[in-house]
Amino acid sequence: MKKEDIGIGVGLIILSIWLFWYVGRYRAFEIYIYGPDFFPKILAVMMAILGQSLIINAVLGNSLKMGDRIDPKGFIRMLISIAICIGYLFLTNILGFATATFVFLFVLMTFLKQKGLFIRIFGSLATAILVWAIFRYFLIIPLPEGWLF
Amino acid sequence: MQFDLLFGAFGKVMLDPINFLFVFIGVTAGIIVGALPGLTATMGVALLIPFTFGLDPVRGLIMLLGLFSGGIYGGSISAILIGIPGTPSAAATVLDGHPMGKKGLAGKAIGMATIASFFGGLMSALIMTFCSPQIARIALKFGPPEFFALAFFGLGIIITVSGKSILKGLISGIFGLMITTIGFDPLSGCPRLTFGSIELLGGITFIPALIGLFGYAQVFQEIEKILTLPSVKSELKNIIPKLNEIKSVFKTMVKSMLIGTFIGAVPGTGCDVAAFVSYGEARRSSKHPEKFGSGILEGVAAPETGNNAATGGAMIPMLTLGVPGDAVTAVLMGALTIHNFQPGPLLFKDHPEVVYPIFAGMIVAQFVMLGVGLGGLRFFARIINIDRRILTPIIFLLCIVGSYVMRFSFFDVGVSLIIGIIAYFMNYYGFPGSPILLALILGPMAEQNLRRSLIISHGDPLIFITRPISAAFIIIGIFIIITSYYRIKKAMEREALASIAEKEKVD
Repeated sequence: MKKEDIGIGVGLIILSIWLFWYVGRYRAFEIYIYGPDFFPKILAVMMAILGQSLIINAVLGNSLKMGDRIDPKGFIRMLISIAICIGYLFLTNILGFATATFVFLFVLMTFLKQKGLFIRIFGSLATAILVWAIFRYFLIIPLPEGWLF
Repeated sequence: MQFDLLFGAFGKVMLDPINFLFVFIGVTAGIIVGALPGLTATMGVALLIPFTFGLDPVRGLIMLLGLFSGGIYGGSISAILIGIPGTPSAAATVLDGHPMGKKGLAGKAIGMATIASFFGGLMSALIMTFCSPQIARIALKFGPPEFFALAFFGLGIIITVSGKSILKGLISGIFGLMITTIGFDPLSGCPRLTFGSIELLGGITFIPALIGLFGYAQVFQEIEKILTLPSVKSELKNIIPKLNEIKSVFKTMVKSMLIGTFIGAVPGTGCDVAAFVSYGEARRSSKHPEKFGSGILEGVAAPETGNNAATGGAMIPMLTLGVPGDAVTAVLMGALTIHNFQPGPLLFKDHPEVVYPIFAGMIVAQFVMLGVGLGGLRFFARIINIDRRILTPIIFLLCIVGSYVMRFSFFDVGVSLIIGIIAYFMNYYGFPGSPILLALILGPMAEQNLRRSLIISHGDPLIFITRPISAAFIIIGIFIIITSYYRIKKAMEREALASIAEKEKVD
């Protein structure tokens, strides 16, 4: 993981320099020297030191071996699932929590290739109703409402 | 201590079926609330308080105490089964509990968590009953330097939860501390790193961050590998830990119980700090620290004993001084006030008819929790046998709902998702998520008290050394950091040599 560690180390140093500069603007609001910029500046310095250590560690050949690599097809599957999730969040305010949840679970189970239409329908419906009922009647916590419920 | 009143209170709680029923309802409700990610014991107690208005005060209070104990324990169930801590105090349980679940030992892990929680909760309830005033006197001596020293001590645990790379663990910890600086500065009120966003003025809320780090990251990895990962069937036989297994972790449980009770008794800390410190100490003092994180019983016993021990500890300053030990006891104080009882030294003198049933209720709740937990073991263990293609979307849903209900905010869901994506990549590049969580818990306490201490001392850092309790924590913290570093490094080298020898043998 030598190249990755060096890249991350450089990124951390850049982040630290930016943070140290950015929080300097807060000095104007505070008369004490231990103002809002004090702690972030300490952290920025510590992060820069650690970033440098990561680079030195990598150059000396002490980086950990990379374990599993990200599977490209799996990664795309993950991104699509996130897109389904974002669609679900929009739907909750339109259809209502329980209905949107049923749709979300059914679509996601189908996308993940769960076999058995009945299991998918029953599983999605039961979970949506159970979660809705727990929050509505047991915990009395309001969930988003829409045209349906 | 008036033993006749104490025994009378036990009789009232245990022998009156209605009182016993309310303890049972509280514990069961607490376990359910605790097991649902995003819901906390604090929220559960707050939600149940209105139900106690029409009840006899004793009944209402013992139900809330049952929920407190059950809620802290309940977080371990989802931590072990699905890798998402149900409550922040179960975050350390994930480290060994979930790997045990993946090995098909979910039932045994939950069994151990149940017994450890029972032991920690019972012992701390007994300490609360017999030693409250003495412990409260020490806890009251904590000022800003002591709180900073305690945070420093807690942050030193990062070394022990860093996994294979201590350097990357430290980087994660500092990153977590940076996140805590977003929002209003607690001392001056200046908004920091909000970039003009109103939603960020309150900072990154803890629960969405917790769900992002442990929940979404886990879900994304599952979805990525869902077609290739083999299914794991949980063992349903021998799920209650054997006597020799409990014996092997007993010393750790005793240590964690003492750590948890003491940390719980310090106002402003909580069960989550107790869990991590207990886990860190168990790993540091273990003969085989390299085994922690791979799924061992000790790694479940330590945090679960610590976090439930903190429940009794947190009650001590609340009852004796009127100062809450943590967020849950702050809400419990509200419950006492609603029923016209003022927590503090006079509560013992003026209302022993409330105090002694609280002691008895807390102790009885531990037994009820043990019964419900062990009774439900087979059912809990079966959950992990559900097909991944059904379970993963349900977990995904629980993450969304859990991150939403804290503030009824889709912004929090978005923040949680982003943290989850970052944590997903962090896992691949060897950066652990637990140090970030530890930093989120202790960061605000560390910053506020560091600055307050330096303002009090006019910039003199010796304030941390000249006060005895603060100095003790700083010295112990440095000792733990150094010894943990060397022990873990040695253990990693031993493991590397063993795997090279194994490879040579095979060749």
